[in-house]
Amino acid sequence: MESLEPLQYFLPQVWFFILGLFLFLYVLLDGFDLGVGILSLTASSEERRSILMTSLGNVWDANETWLVLMGGSLFGAFPLAYATILNALYLPAVIMVVGLILRAVSFEFRENAENKLVWNITFGVGSFLAALGQGFALGTVFEGIHVDASGHFIGGMWDWLTWRSVLVALTLIQGYVLIGSTYLILKTTGELQQTHYKTATIATWTTLIGALFITISTPIISEQARAQLFSAPLIYVFGAVPVLGLLLIGLLLRSLQRREENTPLIYTFLIFALSFIGLGFMIFPNIIPPSITIYQAAASPSSLVFMLTFIGFLIPIVLSYNIYNYVVFRGKIVGEAE
Amino acid sequence: MSEFLADTVTLSRIQFALTAIFHMLWPVLTTGMAIYLVVIEGLWLKTRNLDYYHHARFWSKLYVLNFGIGVASGLPMAFQFGLNWAPFSEAVGDFFGSILGFEGTMAFMLEASFLGIMLFGWDRVPPLVHWLSTILVAFGANLSTFWILCANSWLQTPAGGEFINGKFVVQDYFHAIANPFMVNSFLHMFFATLETSLFVIGGISAWYIFNQRQSAFFARSLKVILVIAIAVAPLQIFIGHLSAEQVYHYQPAKLAAMEAQWETVPAGQPADWSLIALPSDRDERNYWEVKLPGVLSYLLELKPTLDQPVQGLKTWDAANRPHLVGLIYYSFRIMVAIGLFFAALMAVTVGQWLRGKLSDTAISQQKWLMGAWVLAAPLGYIAVEAGWIVRCVGRQPWIVYGELRTVESASHLPAGEVLFSLVGLTTMYSIFLIAALYFGSRIIRKGPNRELPPPRTALQPTVDIEPAQHGRDRRPLEAQQ
Repeated sequence: MESLEPLQYFLPQVWFFILGLFLFLYVLLDGFDLGVGILSLTASSEERRSILMTSLGNVWDANETWLVLMGGSLFGAFPLAYATILNALYLPAVIMVVGLILRAVSFEFRENAENKLVWNITFGVGSFLAALGQGFALGTVFEGIHVDASGHFIGGMWDWLTWRSVLVALTLIQGYVLIGSTYLILKTTGELQQTHYKTATIATWTTLIGALFITISTPIISEQARAQLFSAPLIYVFGAVPVLGLLLIGLLLRSLQRREENTPLIYTFLIFALSFIGLGFMIFPNIIPPSITIYQAAASPSSLVFMLTFIGFLIPIVLSYNIYNYVVFRGKIVGEAE
Repeated sequence: MSEFLADTVTLSRIQFALTAIFHMLWPVLTTGMAIYLVVIEGLWLKTRNLDYYHHARFWSKLYVLNFGIGVASGLPMAFQFGLNWAPFSEAVGDFFGSILGFEGTMAFMLEASFLGIMLFGWDRVPPLVHWLSTILVAFGANLSTFWILCANSWLQTPAGGEFINGKFVVQDYFHAIANPFMVNSFLHMFFATLETSLFVIGGISAWYIFNQRQSAFFARSLKVILVIAIAVAPLQIFIGHLSAEQVYHYQPAKLAAMEAQWETVPAGQPADWSLIALPSDRDERNYWEVKLPGVLSYLLELKPTLDQPVQGLKTWDAANRPHLVGLIYYSFRIMVAIGLFFAALMAVTVGQWLRGKLSDTAISQQKWLMGAWVLAAPLGYIAVEAGWIVRCVGRQPWIVYGELRTVESASHLPAGEVLFSLVGLTTMYSIFLIAALYFGSRIIRKGPNRELPPPRTALQPTVDIEPAQHGRDRRPLEAQQ
């Protein structure tokens, strides 16, 4: 059994990384998707809403699938975490699922409906609810989940609702609006594009303010976070993240000012990536913050190897045909074709 | 009533049953229809007959409507294992979770990614690449069926490891995947989705012919599905029979419930087959029934007398056998009756075809036959739902057969939380069902757009790199400037 021991450390770490990758791709891709959905609530005309929805038509489903991948892999690789986290987040998860459902059906119903307004609103509201549910889930990760020694949820029904989780949820929504705006800058032209330069600029500031609050308040409130943040070598990581973050935000604002088309989306991607890396370092090696580690929650090593053989092998393939999909549909949306 | 509303386990069971019953309605059509779309697009590429192209475009409208609701209603299914059945997820996550992970990565992602090209990519990729996308969508959908049925049949016949301290530890993954039920369960469901779709497509085509709208055009789709149905309808009966035999060997209590058999029939005797009965769970007997003598022995072992006994429900303690015997008994009979009806309808129609009655001009005279096809359209759904009731209600009280009980597998949630989600889901699902029927019937009433020109890329060898026309809506003001 000696030889198994390195595996018991190595495999959960690999799976932590893979799940992080799935989650990151989800947040990035469905993030702009949800952002466009939320922005559609502000669109001034039916034509504009049409463009907004058209820009998502071919990708929303694949984007959302990263969440399904994440859920399935979490279930397989860390069954305890899957069960406990969903138990703790019952209501936010239901809100998110309801939101995603509303979004998905709105696409098809709107397409066939004469009165499109109802389904436009359902689409926007669904996007908002999905983002809200995810924001509360993220907020709960910052706050920590109450568990007993064996990792089972022992908290209350409303644990996820605190002033800080509300703040995190609002910030995430702003972040989605930002990435949605920069995506639309890339995909549209004319007045619509001008509008989204404005929404992108506003969302950059609101996201920045929210992020600053969260960054500053986390070590003040949480002792655990403080201990982790201010110990070497992680202090260098956590020192670098805000500096790089501010730099990227500066670059983003400049590119918006200069009315560049591609770079705002790229800078937004990088900002998301940076926040994500920071979050990953803060949580690791836990998977049910603040106390249950990936080693405690992991499935058996043989199960992790078995999943890795199949899923690990498929990740590059899945990524490549997703990229192909974006390549096929590159370019501006100019409107109709059946 | 208030006690019932305060029982988390019951509420979670109702919620899962409701979600599963509703979700099933959509993929059951799209999974089979994807294969039909591959065939019809292939026929277009081969013959270059525009009718086939217009068929592909028309049916894919119904396809995407169903697909969207399928995705939407599938999300709560994926999350419910953790939300409502956390002890179950923890106990079997090692295996069950991996399989769901495979379904997502291998199957669903494939389907979701190539769907975009299949729906909006007609003018963006060469026809062969488009056809390949349709093939990959169909392959992904059916691969989903494979993994889901693999997971479910493992619940029926858990193999490949053992429960240690309440957790399932896998010893042999391939044995667990290839559990005794897997092959037949997958084939039975694969044919079920195909058969349901064929009879929906056939029913809609027949509706046009019945109403003398574009009869020649829809005679074409009817004949395409007939050619497939000739193989599928009899095979399904055969696979269904094999599945029932498996239940007899591996889950005798379920078989007893399917047959409302309370008393054991010992080996060496003929067993009667019950045609209609009024079973009572409480009194442990049938109030009355009509029996066909000796038929069950033939069905199970192809012999007049049994080699093995057919165990009666009373063999098991009431806590260890399925309840709702009447539901299981009638669901089974309804499923079998629909399967036989499909085969008969297919045979009669092929007979008429061979007699030349399905020609473009004569087919609209076949009023009664087309009427029967229209009526057959919803039956596949009923058969599939009934089959799943037999499969999963018949497995109770076990969630993992013989190993883990359903009541022990539910999360300890406040009943109010579950009630909240149950009410929310029920309301939404009811609205969606009505909306889907409404919009689906609109698409059908509107009919195919036969003016649609073939894709531009059909004439060009390379990918069109001009900026984009992949929208579905009217041209925007901004773009018109």
